[in-house]
Amino acid sequence: MTGSDTAALAAIAPSARIEHRRDGVWIIAPDLDVEAMAREMNRLGFRLSTMTGLAQADGETALIYHFVAAGRAVHFKTRTRGGALPSITPILRAGSWIEREVRDFFGVRFPGHPNLAPLLRPAELREGFFRDAAEVPEQLTRARTEPS
Amino acid sequence: MSYTIPIGPYHPALEEPYKVNVQCGGDTVQAVSVEVGYSFRGIELLAQRTGWVQDLTLIERVCGICSHTHTTTFCRAVETLAEIEVPARAVYIRTAVLELERLHSHLLWVGLASEYIGFQSLFMEAFNLRERVMDLLESISGNRVHYGMNRIGGVNRDITDPDPIVAQLRAMGEIVERDIVPSLTESPTAMSRMRGVGVLTAAQAIEWGVIGPVARASGIATDVRSDLPYGFYPELGFKIVTQTGGDVLARVAVRALEVLESIRLVCAALQDLPPGPIRAFEGMPDIPAGEATAFTEAPRGEAIYYVASDGGATPARVKIRTPSFVNIPALEAMTMGQQFGDVPLIQASVDPCLSCTDR
Repeated sequence: MTGSDTAALAAIAPSARIEHRRDGVWIIAPDLDVEAMAREMNRLGFRLSTMTGLAQADGETALIYHFVAAGRAVHFKTRTRGGALPSITPILRAGSWIEREVRDFFGVRFPGHPNLAPLLRPAELREGFFRDAAEVPEQLTRARTEPS
Repeated sequence: MSYTIPIGPYHPALEEPYKVNVQCGGDTVQAVSVEVGYSFRGIELLAQRTGWVQDLTLIERVCGICSHTHTTTFCRAVETLAEIEVPARAVYIRTAVLELERLHSHLLWVGLASEYIGFQSLFMEAFNLRERVMDLLESISGNRVHYGMNRIGGVNRDITDPDPIVAQLRAMGEIVERDIVPSLTESPTAMSRMRGVGVLTAAQAIEWGVIGPVARASGIATDVRSDLPYGFYPELGFKIVTQTGGDVLARVAVRALEVLESIRLVCAALQDLPPGPIRAFEGMPDIPAGEATAFTEAPRGEAIYYVASDGGATPARVKIRTPSFVNIPALEAMTMGQQFGDVPLIQASVDPCLSCTDR
């Protein structure tokens, strides 16, 4: 990671905490402007690899946007505001399925997404069922069967 | 007249359970939409409720083809998180098995592609070679599919006699070079069926964010082995394979040439196998609180794992992103304006794995 790259990344989220870890640069910015991030990372030649959702105790979801370019991995960690974050799909097409999956698993809303239809969620489970599994796991657990 | 034809989720034209809705005007494809999720197993959730060691058995079953890729990536994420240094010999063995896995995956795909274009003799040749790779994997690990080679901090089994493996691979490499590569890249049968079909331009490849052989066939030189090097790929002199056609033929050529590169890498890894232990410790240490990611080049492209720990007996979060999840949506761009009869071949050229995609 060159100095100019680091400066460009820092400019995306001026109030962020930047950590250089063994698996790349981590930018921790709870109030991140994700649309500005998507535009700038696209301009810098980074590819959106995926997003990771993490259920938070207050009902919000932490989201990590993982970007990759030759020799560089950058991870932006932010959180939803009122259960939502603007969709980055209009800027980065690769975000489409990723945001649909996060919606299925964590119930996050992405205003601006062109088609936020269920992707992987089985019809009998409600949106955000990963959250249910963490909070009320018995609802997703079948009765244990012991060998007779 | 425009009409929509649903292919799948269970259909002879598809190797895997997913649905391709094809809207046609005459024989020309006007629009495509893809539906997945028919094999959703909730492996990420299960991994968060299973122990660190048991998770290896679970995660190996994300895919029946690139199973070692998944355990390797999970182990690498955990080892990064816990700052575990893996012995060099273990990393070489992991790398050799990763490349053997790529070999049998690519040969499987070459066989399927041959069958799709009606090239039955090449299908049989490719599957014959793939069977020999499976035999090698069985001789190393005791298993044909889920090898059980990885453990956190190293590998479970040593490779004590690499010479016969190297000799067999060299013999296979000669057959691939003499028969398989020319049959796919020079024969009129293959070229007339695959050239210009299902084109994904370099600009489209970037727009859709595709990875692995699909991206490299469109001239995008991206490969985790060179972009974010791990293991001993730099020491082994890894060479990235690219083509510029962006069509089915280019995707075939990339995989065929990567078979040769994988054979070279396995031979190099086994010939330079460093002495020393094959695991950093016996048993399983406590995994401290923290988070980490790992990237590995699976046969179909980049696999990424995110692992978080709260210091407990199970991971707090395991996120799995497989390459097919990224490549399958680009079918929309590849099939637009193509002949309906070419859709089965085009979707196959992505080498879609729904076991991986749905998890």
